[in-house]
Amino acid sequence: MTNITKNLPNANNILRKQLKNGATMLAWHNPTSPAIVIQGLLTPGTMADTHGKFGLANLTAAMLMTGTQKHDFQALHEKIESLGASINVQAGKLATSFSLQCLSEDLPSILDLLVEVLSQPSFPENHFNRIKTQILTSIAIRAQDTGAMAGDAFDRAFFESHPYAIPTIGYAQDIVGIELEDLKAFHADFFAPHTALLTVSGGLAPDRVADMLENSFGAWQKTAFKTQPDLPDFIAPQKALREHVAMAEKSQTDLIIGVLAPKTQSEDIYAAMIGNNILGQFGMMGRVGDSVREKAGLAYYVQSALGSGLGPTPWQVFAGVNPDNLDRAISLIKDELKRFANEVVSTQELEDSRAQMIGRQPLALETNVGITRALLSIERYQLGLNHLQELPDKLKAISKQDVLAVAHKYWDFDRLTIVSAGRELT
Amino acid sequence: MEDNLIQTQLSNGLRISLKEIHTAPIVSVWCWYDIGSRNEVPGKTGVSHWVEHMQFKGTKTMSGQEMDHAIARVGGYWNAMTSSDWTTYLETLPSNHIDLALKIEADRMQNSLFDPEDVEMERTVILSEREGAENDPLFLLGEATEALAFKQHPYRNEVLGFQRDVETMTRDDLYGHYQNYYQPANARLCVAGDFDSQNLLKKIEALFGNIPSNNIVSNIPKPEETLSEANRIELQGPGEAHFAQIVYRSPAANTDDFFAYTILDSLLAGPSSLNMFGSGSISNRTSRLYKSLVETEMVAGVFGGINATIDPGTYAITLIGRPDHDSEEVLNHFDQQIEDLQKGNIQAQEIERAVKQAKALFVYGSDNITNQAFWLGYAPSFADYDWFRHYVDKLQAVTPERVAQIAQKYFSPNNRVIGLYNPVKGF
Repeated sequence: MTNITKNLPNANNILRKQLKNGATMLAWHNPTSPAIVIQGLLTPGTMADTHGKFGLANLTAAMLMTGTQKHDFQALHEKIESLGASINVQAGKLATSFSLQCLSEDLPSILDLLVEVLSQPSFPENHFNRIKTQILTSIAIRAQDTGAMAGDAFDRAFFESHPYAIPTIGYAQDIVGIELEDLKAFHADFFAPHTALLTVSGGLAPDRVADMLENSFGAWQKTAFKTQPDLPDFIAPQKALREHVAMAEKSQTDLIIGVLAPKTQSEDIYAAMIGNNILGQFGMMGRVGDSVREKAGLAYYVQSALGSGLGPTPWQVFAGVNPDNLDRAISLIKDELKRFANEVVSTQELEDSRAQMIGRQPLALETNVGITRALLSIERYQLGLNHLQELPDKLKAISKQDVLAVAHKYWDFDRLTIVSAGRELT
Repeated sequence: MEDNLIQTQLSNGLRISLKEIHTAPIVSVWCWYDIGSRNEVPGKTGVSHWVEHMQFKGTKTMSGQEMDHAIARVGGYWNAMTSSDWTTYLETLPSNHIDLALKIEADRMQNSLFDPEDVEMERTVILSEREGAENDPLFLLGEATEALAFKQHPYRNEVLGFQRDVETMTRDDLYGHYQNYYQPANARLCVAGDFDSQNLLKKIEALFGNIPSNNIVSNIPKPEETLSEANRIELQGPGEAHFAQIVYRSPAANTDDFFAYTILDSLLAGPSSLNMFGSGSISNRTSRLYKSLVETEMVAGVFGGINATIDPGTYAITLIGRPDHDSEEVLNHFDQQIEDLQKGNIQAQEIERAVKQAKALFVYGSDNITNQAFWLGYAPSFADYDWFRHYVDKLQAVTPERVAQIAQKYFSPNNRVIGLYNPVKGF
């Protein structure tokens, strides 16, 4: 039997290096893979969007893929697609994420293209209107998606005046008014290579990858740039909130119930991870799955999710239910939340969830995408290069009382935000 | 393609495929049954999918929750899928727990309870699943166009079943379906991952060898080789987004036409991945329809996708419309692209690119054991494992002339279904 534990990414086999332009890279060798994956982040994110131009970061990220100073749209995509590769760029709240996937043998041919896309976009005018329309169409499609509308409404209610209340895609009325010059200025002002984090996994030795990244990405130097605004302090809602988005002709209503989650870097996080697993993940969607789906037959899906990130994130329970069953589903979920916040979990539940979270590591780290995702978290949240090896011990240290303490601390029933989207409430 | 594949069959008819892969301490166990919505009869649509749900509710020896928790406890996951042609169950878990997966599959092949209370509970869960799907205009459009694409063949029915059938089917309907189709002679056990094949074969023989196979009564539909006429349907609903689907007949996967059709799909709408758990995708910006319809700002997006099916199926191209172009204008431009292919205006390098993309997608899909185990069972559901082994070679052999022939044979405007979804403000 293969032993993966000793081969988990750790301080001895992850190459962590700062490139000459200040960017940080982490690379891991996956010798059995004939492919390679790069996932990365760099500022800015939508935090740099300003009032009246919400959607600018997202529009800029989309336009990066329409051409560079050396390759027009057709040449760029001909090169990427003819190699069976992919390059993607997408705006997030605090950073723009990017990714590349290709056969290992093709990385030398395509890496420069990724760097061109990020550093030398041409922002061609003839593609601007098309990209805008595509984003406006996406907004129109989202407007008919009960899950997306419930999510947006939750963020509006929960984050209120905080920038996280605004959807990453922006507002249609703002996007219509954004000019190409806005994008050029946004890119010139905020795209900062020294903030970049690149993670790599695949069939090339880390030293070789590092040399290639140094010669390509490391050569992107930029001395003048603006810093995106700092995240403002956030105080979660101090009272219970209930919102509903009425949508015509919808057979199912999407429901979200949430509170503020512990910060990803806080000492509460491991107890919260185990607690969340018990609440709405373990097996067939944890306790809420057992109550709402298995015992009551009210929903095809119901589960909990613990947000992660450098900024404030919610801890939520999601469900999709028939509109006639909405109140009953809310009631059942609240019963489970009350139990979770006030009663200690069983020894069996604690041991099961802990065992699952430890046991699933090989599956989570099986693919290059899984590895790069883990490396991003390690660096972004300063978890240490030995995090994956240390995680089992951190989870084993969590007691039932620790889980109860975080559940009680965060699931405050006087401050629940409950949002639904679907047929009009009767 | 080199692989450590063992294929054999037990005396009760259970077909077995084992593929050793020692890159990670993981194993993926799949149990396939040759039953899907293709074999369903009017009034009982959705029965295969519902039975799949009931297979998670437990047996005489192990409750559904016990199975679920046992797999989760070791860090594994389990799931199931029902398609038009098959139903399949999978467990991916650390390889030292392979016995657990085998035990569950052997147990629920013969001992599932179908408790009446569980049946009723699952009825509303399935209705909820269907209601969630109905929220999406593209689901509604797809269901409407498929219904027009076949006269009788059950491919015209959604796998989830009609709401009225889900509301009226009984526990006996479900249990009868289970007893008939869930037998070793109608099943394939496929395992990939970190194990020793000879040891595993002994375990499989011990667990599955004594399960009897009786007579299986299967409803085999008559294939509908061609789409006999042009048809059109328009739906209206809330929102602002327009959608169009153009649906043609696709060949059965186990035919030579399928491979040239796959190249045609790639040229038209970009490469489709047949991987179920692949971790890669390739964009379609150099495809003909993207260039001619999206880049010219006639539509906001386009995608297509070919399915590998036992009988001739459907190939749908979906267009995401723009309010400033009406559907007739878009369809005219669309048809020009089809005519261009039919005339044979196809370059050899376009095919080379499609083949390279197919190769890359296979490599990306091979980076996880679950997907490799999927292919062990998926390819034999419509052909055999050699189909998968020689897939890229078959694509490589496709010529521009052959693609043009396929376009002429299948892409006639007189043999297709056009579905339009028109948003109505204030609906």
